[in-house]
Amino acid sequence: MKTATRERPGITIVDVAGDIDMGTSPELRKTLLNSLRAAPRLIINLREVRYVDSSGIASLVEVLKEARNTQKRLVLFGLNRAVHEVLQLTRLTKIFEIRETEEEALQA
Amino acid sequence: MNCDRDGKTELQPVPAAAGPLRFQITMTSNSRLLPVVRAAISELAAVQGFDDRQCRRITLAIDEALSNVIRHAYGNRCDQEIELICQARSNFLEFAFVDRGEPADPAKFCARPLDDRAGGGRGTHIIRQVMDEVRYDRAPDGNRLCLKKYLPGAHGAPGCK
Repeated sequence: MKTATRERPGITIVDVAGDIDMGTSPELRKTLLNSLRAAPRLIINLREVRYVDSSGIASLVEVLKEARNTQKRLVLFGLNRAVHEVLQLTRLTKIFEIRETEEEALQA
Repeated sequence: MNCDRDGKTELQPVPAAAGPLRFQITMTSNSRLLPVVRAAISELAAVQGFDDRQCRRITLAIDEALSNVIRHAYGNRCDQEIELICQARSNFLEFAFVDRGEPADPAKFCARPLDDRAGGGRGTHIIRQVMDEVRYDRAPDGNRLCLKKYLPGAHGAPGCK
């Protein structure tokens, strides 16, 4: 799994690529929590994520909770079918703000 | 095999080889091996005739089960042994996970409500949602978890999952 961070005024965008599983989710969690501290809004690009399991979802949930606790916003975009299915299986489709594209996420 | 009819080529399907489908993986409890196992399981499910969506779900369930062994049976140690035996029968796939780690709590295999506050247990919930049969046995020297997934419409399949 790889991540890259981009900054916009008031927004941090984290691009994630590869597989998010129990081996890689701790690193993702750390990167996302650090990025959340940097700006009032965090956008996570999941377009290049091929696979995510429950540990990856747990990391996203933890970051969402931290965002709520600190009055910040978290938006996900670019979810493919596999990622959507895991969110459905874990009944978490409604708790995240999800957009199709980066433009929509930036305008959210 | 090509059959020319009126100058047009028709491709005929090659019958799949008959015989049992079984393979066994003996691995260390290292999470870096999870993508390797996922690739094998995804292919096995496709060979058995599951569609893309079901292949993804089966792969996810197996990954979750392995992650649970690494995390709970072996306390995240990366040097312990896990055996995964995969068998394709006529209308189902069967997986057995054998480890020599700490015993599992059978209560954790029971389905329980999930919400966004659930700290853990999502992996077990996924396994129960995807697989048609889940059986855990504690042996004197370890744990054995068996999962079964029927092909859609197969006798014994409890309905579409």
